[in-house]
Amino acid sequence: MVRTQTDPLGSDDYRKERLMIEIRGLSKSFVGQDGGRVEALRDVDLDVGENEFLTVLGPSGCGKTTLLKAIAGLIPWQDGDILIDGTPVRGPGADRSMVFQNFALLPWATVLDNVAFGLRMRGVGRAEREERARSLIAMVGLSGFETKRPGELSGGMQQRVGIARALAVRPRVLLMDEPFGAVDEQTRRLLQEELLAIWEEHRLTVVFITHSMEEAVLLGDRVVLMSARPGRIAEIVPVPLQRPRSSDVSALERSGKYVEITAYLWDRLRDMHEEHRPATVAR
Amino acid sequence: MTAAITPRERRRTSGFRAGPQPEGRPSLWRRIADASLPYQLLTFAVFAAAWELYAREWGGLLIPTFIETVEATAELLGSAELWQAMYVSNQALVLGFGIAVVVGVPSGIVLGRFRTLERFADVYLNILLVTPMAAIIPLLVMSVGFGLTSRVILVTIFSIVMVVVNSRAGVRQVDPSLIEMARSFGASERQIWSRILLPGALPAIMTGIRLGVGRAVTGMVLVELLMVSTAMGGLILEYRGLFKAPLLYGTIVIILAEALLLISVARWCERRLTRWAQTTTARSA
Amino acid sequence: MSTLAGQRRARTAHPRRQPSWRRLPAAPLSLAAGAAAWELIGHLAGVSFFPPLSTVLVRLADMAFNGVIFSSLGDSLLNLALGFAISLAAGLLTGVAMGRYRRVEAALGVYVYALLTAPSLVFAPIFFSVLGEGRGSIIAVVVMYAMFVIIINTASAIQSVPAHLVEMARSYGASERQVLLRVMLPAATPMIMAGVRLGIGRAVTGMINGEMFIAVVGLGRIVTEAGGRFDSASVLAVLLVIIAVALGGVALVQIVDRRITRWIPKTSRGDR
Repeated sequence: MVRTQTDPLGSDDYRKERLMIEIRGLSKSFVGQDGGRVEALRDVDLDVGENEFLTVLGPSGCGKTTLLKAIAGLIPWQDGDILIDGTPVRGPGADRSMVFQNFALLPWATVLDNVAFGLRMRGVGRAEREERARSLIAMVGLSGFETKRPGELSGGMQQRVGIARALAVRPRVLLMDEPFGAVDEQTRRLLQEELLAIWEEHRLTVVFITHSMEEAVLLGDRVVLMSARPGRIAEIVPVPLQRPRSSDVSALERSGKYVEITAYLWDRLRDMHEEHRPATVAR
Repeated sequence: MTAAITPRERRRTSGFRAGPQPEGRPSLWRRIADASLPYQLLTFAVFAAAWELYAREWGGLLIPTFIETVEATAELLGSAELWQAMYVSNQALVLGFGIAVVVGVPSGIVLGRFRTLERFADVYLNILLVTPMAAIIPLLVMSVGFGLTSRVILVTIFSIVMVVVNSRAGVRQVDPSLIEMARSFGASERQIWSRILLPGALPAIMTGIRLGVGRAVTGMVLVELLMVSTAMGGLILEYRGLFKAPLLYGTIVIILAEALLLISVARWCERRLTRWAQTTTARSA
Repeated sequence: MSTLAGQRRARTAHPRRQPSWRRLPAAPLSLAAGAAAWELIGHLAGVSFFPPLSTVLVRLADMAFNGVIFSSLGDSLLNLALGFAISLAAGLLTGVAMGRYRRVEAALGVYVYALLTAPSLVFAPIFFSVLGEGRGSIIAVVVMYAMFVIIINTASAIQSVPAHLVEMARSYGASERQVLLRVMLPAATPMIMAGVRLGIGRAVTGMINGEMFIAVVGLGRIVTEAGGRFDSASVLAVLLVIIAVALGGVALVQIVDRRITRWIPKTSRGDR
């Protein structure tokens, strides 16, 4: 049985490091299509340690993207606080950057300009931002594609550009919203390995939204399991798999622990699904 | 492709801060500020006031004030002369537009279905779309005189291009896989036409008819203003000649009102008939 | 004009083998056939209002040699250029404001729409009374014809900028100005240009109609005068010039469009 815990500062090894993100009593609701209130998040408490890789897993509509956008400072909320390294979030900031599910690349801009976009918004001079962008492009393995436009790249390459753009601003927190959800399975595997390698080398705090149990376990130090209607944290599942993981992902996937945690997550997700199944189905 | 402004869900892209925000029912003022009507009324009031002031300060004989125009419009609406002119104008409109629909819809459908024919007709349709039709009015007058016929022909020429082009686009935009689907269920050619092609093309055809109405009204006014000084256009020219500025402006107001009314009716019909589809056809107005 | 683009796509989408006569370019062939038919019918019918093409071309050459065409064409093009420039500047500004700010749209939208669909020439007598019998009134008519379609397309283009791009820019701390200049305007350009293309076509129409109504300068005046003399060859000759101006204007906008929206993948160009 997998040991579960709701105390985010349990006994695992990220504990020795300090907190990067603190979320206290976060609640967010909005007016839905039918005019009624939809509770996207109810009373969410969450701590993320510095340099922790946190994955967030949950059924669609559980508010995981809302949570991420709140951390990014892109949306307002009603109750609670989000602190980044002790400072309350009041809008987008230089300490966080985001990778989007649909890439959100500017179709008219070259790869170089796309990667340099965040730097440009922050007023970094041309020479410096191009230099930084080039080194990031090299890091995600896209050297030689600097002058191409997104339309000429495959989905996987586009998301590499998205990741390079996010890293170019040297964030302390990387927010990833189902970043590999829109690419095919093989590309997804490659991107996962590369992301692990990048994270292992550079170490930064990552909050990674996904709807794939395997992805959540493979990447995360802990998996935050969310339930829908209202969006709440159902459980936080630690992933006691050894690091670094990027060197031999397939061996990891065959390990007993990996299989055990994935199976446990599936059980929990299925339970949640049962709870929400409409009563009429029983007839 | 142009698209019309449709009421849509607004993205809130500005004007808020992230972070905790107090919640509560929007206040009365907030709800008024979010509705459109107050802004529309405000725009109209500003426009009317500006007109009134301008006319009072610099107006003179040729420019009536807003109030004078309103009065003249009311006066015109009560006069037999106007309704007589209206009747004459709209005769040409109804006949000409009727012909445009009866001829234009089938032609468009045929063009959409038979590619070869269309390849050769295409260049002419494109020329017709950009050509200022008013320039052929003199030819019409030379050939069929100043009577009803030339006005009917002009209204038809003005509106038929829109009807043809949109009907053609409508047939062409029907998903080919639907036709394959129907064939796989053993549908005959006739059934494909009546069950798949025509219903599928209907939204675009209705768009063409709506745009055609607008062009038809334009054609009606144009021919009367430029060549055949009868009816509504004739009234405008007559009042202008007599320096009856308020009546001139009033006539223009009434023509505009009629045009907008007809277009609104066409739009309403379009919505009623094609509720299932959001048409994506040419809206080149 | 979306039909033009649709055409191109439909044609390139079917590269399968066709009979040899089908592979000939349709447009020139079709135009040649039309010209021949015009010539033939003109001769056969022998009516004054439909002279054969050759007569019209001879008349056009005459008018070109004695300079009538060129001086009028110059006047007309000046009216067109001034009117279109005003429409473009005012149309883009208003359109962006309407697309970006809900209240501006609430205030103006319904009127812009009404003026787009209304018969624009009825405003000519009003311009005539305010601006007098001259170039100013003609330019105002051109603006009346061309501006609203540019406004509507620009507003609608700005509104349909993908929300995720705006959100992305904001997540990187872009200011309102940066969002507008670096994200919204470039993203909206293709659709804005579609409106500009429609605008130039309408501007030519407005130019001719305005000149015909306020018959003091330009090609429109020649049409009106020739019509008054029952000189159908001249009317048709000028009509050919007008068609050339309209097609030239559209082609010009298309060239500009291609240059500034080169980033659009070729495969999706036809969609516009």
